[in-house]
Amino acid sequence: CHTSWMLTPNGKEYAQKIPREELTHLILKLLQAWKEPLSHFNQHIEHHQELPDDSLSKAKQISSMVHELKTGVEKVTEKARFSINSLNGMASPEATGLSISNEANMMSDSDFIHCFRRDSNKVQSYLKILKCRIMPENSC
Amino acid sequence: MKQKFTSSVQIILQLALTTVGQSYPGKPKIIRCRSLEKETFSCWWKPGSDGGLPTNYTLFYSKDSEEKIYECPDYRTSGPNSCYFDKNHTNPWTTYNITVMATNEIGSNSSDPHYVDVTSIVQPDAPVNLSLEAKTSASIRYLWAKWSPPPLADISSNSHVYHYELRLKPEEKEEWEIISVGVQAQYKVMRLQAGVKYVIQVRCMLDLGEWSEWSSERWVQIPNGKSPPEKPTITKCRSPEKETFTCWWKPGSAGGHPTNYTLLYSKEGEEQVYECPDYRTAGPNSCYFDKKHTSFWTIYNITVRATNEMGSNVSDPHYVDVTYIVQPDPPVNVTLELKKPINRKPYLVLTWSPPPLADVRSGWLTLEYELRLKPEEGEEWETIFVGQQTQYKMFSLNPGKKYIVQIHCKPDHHGSWSEWSSEKYIQIPTDFRVKDMVVWIVVGVLSSLVCLIMSWTMVFKGYRMIAFILPPVPGPKIKGIDTHLLETGKSEELLSALGCHGFPPTSDCEELLIEYLEVEDSEDQQLMPSHDNSHPSKNAKMIPKETDSDSGRGSCDSPSLLSEKCRESHALPSRLQTQDIRDVQENKGGKRSWETQCIASEQKIFLFNIENTKSSTWPAAQLPNTQPPVFAYHSTTDAHKITLSTTNVNTAPALVGNEEKHQSQYPITETVHDDMEKQREVENLHSKTDQTTVQVKQNRPNDKSPFLNPKLMDYVEVHKIRQDEKPAVLLKHKENSGKTEKYTVPGTSKEYTKVSTVMDHNILVLMPDSRIQHTSVSQEPAMETSQNLQQGQDGKNMSYCLTVPSECKRETSGSEYMDPSSFMPSFK
Repeated sequence: CHTSWMLTPNGKEYAQKIPREELTHLILKLLQAWKEPLSHFNQHIEHHQELPDDSLSKAKQISSMVHELKTGVEKVTEKARFSINSLNGMASPEATGLSISNEANMMSDSDFIHCFRRDSNKVQSYLKILKCRIMPENSC
Repeated sequence: MKQKFTSSVQIILQLALTTVGQSYPGKPKIIRCRSLEKETFSCWWKPGSDGGLPTNYTLFYSKDSEEKIYECPDYRTSGPNSCYFDKNHTNPWTTYNITVMATNEIGSNSSDPHYVDVTSIVQPDAPVNLSLEAKTSASIRYLWAKWSPPPLADISSNSHVYHYELRLKPEEKEEWEIISVGVQAQYKVMRLQAGVKYVIQVRCMLDLGEWSEWSSERWVQIPNGKSPPEKPTITKCRSPEKETFTCWWKPGSAGGHPTNYTLLYSKEGEEQVYECPDYRTAGPNSCYFDKKHTSFWTIYNITVRATNEMGSNVSDPHYVDVTYIVQPDPPVNVTLELKKPINRKPYLVLTWSPPPLADVRSGWLTLEYELRLKPEEGEEWETIFVGQQTQYKMFSLNPGKKYIVQIHCKPDHHGSWSEWSSEKYIQIPTDFRVKDMVVWIVVGVLSSLVCLIMSWTMVFKGYRMIAFILPPVPGPKIKGIDTHLLETGKSEELLSALGCHGFPPTSDCEELLIEYLEVEDSEDQQLMPSHDNSHPSKNAKMIPKETDSDSGRGSCDSPSLLSEKCRESHALPSRLQTQDIRDVQENKGGKRSWETQCIASEQKIFLFNIENTKSSTWPAAQLPNTQPPVFAYHSTTDAHKITLSTTNVNTAPALVGNEEKHQSQYPITETVHDDMEKQREVENLHSKTDQTTVQVKQNRPNDKSPFLNPKLMDYVEVHKIRQDEKPAVLLKHKENSGKTEKYTVPGTSKEYTKVSTVMDHNILVLMPDSRIQHTSVSQEPAMETSQNLQQGQDGKNMSYCLTVPSECKRETSGSEYMDPSSFMPSFK
């Protein structure tokens, strides 16, 4: 996967150990990393005749969801006033955006989907941990 | 000599033929006869030389020592040069003498006879489908051999029992080991050497005969402990809480002991291969990966290697990402609580806890729950998805029933459902129902009590109650009104009968009151109302005195009608309508029906029969004014026939009174009585059979019609009317019996009729005096009791208004008459 180079906690303990800001940053990085490849993928599969229409609309839906999620996390970050290490943080997604995209474009469709599935699961788990750390009373 | 000659000729012929190439056939030889199952058999022969010409073969046989010779029944079934004897031709207990004859154009030749005893030639086919399997049970190696009996063309003969024999030997050896198997078509061969290849055959035999041939060979290799194991397979890997996971494998089918299994894995992106950290925790043939060794979002490549003395074997690789193999434990701590909020229906709350290992608190693992429910006796589960909450409120359970509930959970993302939790029984309390039942029981008891009370009151005081509840509808109570007339709707007559010139009645209502005069007599009696001039059509109207309060009429109240007690009849002055006897106005409720019958030209006397007491009848026309004459119907000179008919009576003039039949002509002052009562009316006047004219003269000044003055309640029974004399009505006055001249002078406004004489006993003869208006027999107090019924013939003493006094209360106040307006609606 094109996001494999990222150092992401691989277990619950690791995820709980790293500070919240870093976790949030990680989430944002992940989401950012998928933005471009998703749109490219959508364009790519639109020309596939054999896919049913549901898949196409679903793919578009997923892209928009990822975008919205990213926006939401950014908002949360602002509200929570996480201090993000700017050096470490925002720069990297943008900088490596191109290379990431290139790499992503070369993946096969099944690999692409497999990687996306995994990363979205990562994001979900991290967000849940974050949620329970920030607001423990909310069904945690 | 001769023989030599013939033989030499034969030789020459043969030589000649041989040179030509043709001769008679050679001698066939019977090779073999065989029976497969003792029910059929076949014989085969070998032909001799055919002599160059086409040769036919025929088989002849005879049985035992019989002379008869049969030919083969079937040459085809068993193939060429064979003869097949089917079931019908086979006798097991006979000896067949068989010969085969070869025939061609030149000659024939027959074989030597062959003696066949079926039972001795039985030989089945060999068994088929021999299968061998090497098995190890409890570390004992054995060979399991199976086969099938030889197939038979005739399937029906399946009842044969074969005996089997098995022989085996190691491949390289020469000696066979023969094992007698018995009748089973399978056998377990023990004592086999490991690692040796054996060859096995079976054969069979019927209970008599010969053994079949040996079946075809089969080889089997006995597994050797030293052979490498078979490939194991990894069955599943699971993580119960998304922090650790376990993998299980299944060993290969046959493996020599002992076999070691090792699990090796590598992670995605790494080259290094690790071995399973823990073989024990999860049981045999498993590997447990603890937290340290579990990484998420990486794919594990897992293989199992089986190793034994002879070698090893590796399973196929199994790829697994722990994220997707989460299967939690079932939820725990399932509890029920019954909540009873105020003013609301009670409900059950089911709560549970997530499985202990799952870390829901940190959000690492989020579980979704689902519960299923069914009544204890039910068959289908109802599944309810609950979501992420750990409680559920149940509102819709039936009280008194027992339910079973179970819960299971699943991670909210990829993963699988846990097992169902243990069954939890819910018993819905039935106390609500008990309360409901109590309420219903109380309600039922109370209502039944009420019903009982009501029924008893109905029974005992039924009539009164009914009367109380459903008061009878008072009808028009105009005395002197012919109900029939009312029905027919001749209002003029009615009105005139009422004495009302115009409508509504004027103030001289008093005059309208008429007393009843019931006149009963034979035909020639007539009552002529004294005054009947101006009011022609006044039917005899009886104005019953109203005694009850029902009348409620206007000023011109007419007395309520007739009760049975009161009879009214009166002759109408003006006109009598001749009517047949009929019931005037019968009211359903048992009103009295008036029957009027009028005869006579001028005056008519209407007799009303009061049928039933109930209801008010309508008023007879009333009448005469001033002094309410009691009635004054009397016929004038003419003989009027007044017939009173009672309802019951047939044409004979009958009177008044329901059941009475009287003939009487009597002026009767009827008193009104309470119509509620069903009392008979009194009066009846009986008439003597002889003619009497009843004449009542009413003293009416201006009476419009001779009507009975309803005021006077009683009636006087007219006893007799003598026609010859001036019409006089004999009234029988009860009270005043014996008095002559008795005319009861009623109250102030009563009418009086002068009594001329008194006859006999209690008979008043009234003067048809104009002054005497009324035969007021009845005065208020006295009158009322004075009804005399003529006891004449029938002696019936009809009920009078004895009770009249009480009921037939007169209203002394005013004259009672009917307010025509009250019965206006009835006018047409």
